[in-house]
Amino acid sequence: MELLCLEMDTIIRARPDPNLLCDDRVLQSLLTIEERFLPQYSYFKVVQKDIQPFMRRMVATWMLEVCEEQKCEEEVFPLAMNYLDRFLAVVPTKKCNLQLLGAVCMFLASKLKETRPLTAEKLCIYTDNSIRPQELLEWELVVLGKLKWNLAAVTPNDFIEHIVRRLPLPEDKLALIRKHVQTFIALCATDFRFAMYPPSMIATGSVGAAICGLQLDSADQSQWGDSLTDLLAKITNTEVDVLKECQEQIERVLVSNLREGRQQQQQQQQTQRGPSGKGLDELDQSSTPTDVRDVNL
Amino acid sequence: MCRMMATNVRILRRLGSGPTRRNLFGPVDREQLRVEYQAALQKDLEEASRRWGFDFLSDEPLESSDFQWECVPGTKVPLLYRSGKQGLDQRGRQTFREASVSTSGGSVKSPPCDKENIPRTPERCLLNLKNLEITPERRENTGLKRKQTNITDFYQAKRRVVGTPRKSGE
Repeated sequence: MELLCLEMDTIIRARPDPNLLCDDRVLQSLLTIEERFLPQYSYFKVVQKDIQPFMRRMVATWMLEVCEEQKCEEEVFPLAMNYLDRFLAVVPTKKCNLQLLGAVCMFLASKLKETRPLTAEKLCIYTDNSIRPQELLEWELVVLGKLKWNLAAVTPNDFIEHIVRRLPLPEDKLALIRKHVQTFIALCATDFRFAMYPPSMIATGSVGAAICGLQLDSADQSQWGDSLTDLLAKITNTEVDVLKECQEQIERVLVSNLREGRQQQQQQQQTQRGPSGKGLDELDQSSTPTDVRDVNL
Repeated sequence: MCRMMATNVRILRRLGSGPTRRNLFGPVDREQLRVEYQAALQKDLEEASRRWGFDFLSDEPLESSDFQWECVPGTKVPLLYRSGKQGLDQRGRQTFREASVSTSGGSVKSPPCDKENIPRTPERCLLNLKNLEITPERRENTGLKRKQTNITDFYQAKRRVVGTPRKSGE
């Protein structure tokens, strides 16, 4: 018999519970309550004067990077963005306080979802100490009040398993599909155009985009093809046309993000190494987080 | 098109440029932030007061309350919901003493506290603990109130009775 020290520095996870995943009532309940957690307004037109959509994108990008770097659970970032949007839909906020708000939202989402949540100190460091832990804690209370303490919002991530399990997908590809779906969901959360969409639609569109992107639908055209969208639409009670539009929108946002990413990369290269600089691969390797690099594409 | 997506999903993960640790929108006006924070809390408190017909600062029901409030002794509620003296004794007597000293001066409304959950309305700490053990016969005995934590400024914590004059032992 071997003696093993099982006290490791890893998070112990519960197994997926078939009682929850195979029961239609859970999915139906999620679909019933999800609208309650949407922001009340498209707030850039109505509520906000100082902040603009591109600023939301800036803070969202920063939040995503922090979550990635801290290896937060996948749902922390979309949940934090839900808090941010719901707060901004009711409170006119100054540009200079937007990063504080983003930090507070991550703080709350992390506490709700993680066994080892982000600390206030850490988050303040990520703002380059432009805010103090005391301020973070104070504004946490303000944000909680505005969210009416309703923190357990439904996120697109809540739907992933429910959708994926209802599709005839190859077992060996499931992990990869999940990964891509999560990426698409994170992408949507950075883009304000998706802020008012129900989480189930974002999840369904993301699953569609992931399956399509991985070309799993082309293996057996008779099974998939157009019927993939039909099947997806049926699972989350979404209209086929709406879902198609959503999926296309997700794909368009991806393309524009990729283009921007490439441009940024080229600019970085040029500034760092001069126009004749080599080593795109090197740069690529160094700036790609490990968890994505080991995704075999 | 789809083909391209798959091969490029990973690029998404570096939407930003430069180090993650950065200040996005310039310096924060601390003084202004402080003012806004106080105003926001004040507003929350006022909203909660209107919503529940209860003045959480003086710990008194409002005249115009839609609810009929009744006292519940602190011993009858779970420890979590007790605050003021009882709650603080468990966690840190020191902080409590400081809080009550500062209010005996009368003017200090929210003493600085090192913990986010320390009650902001220290007046409550001054109530007599003995009285909390007695179940009041009538709700007019307003001196006998149990304490609340800060969280209850936002949520109903006291038992409310709508439409019925009194329910005991519920």
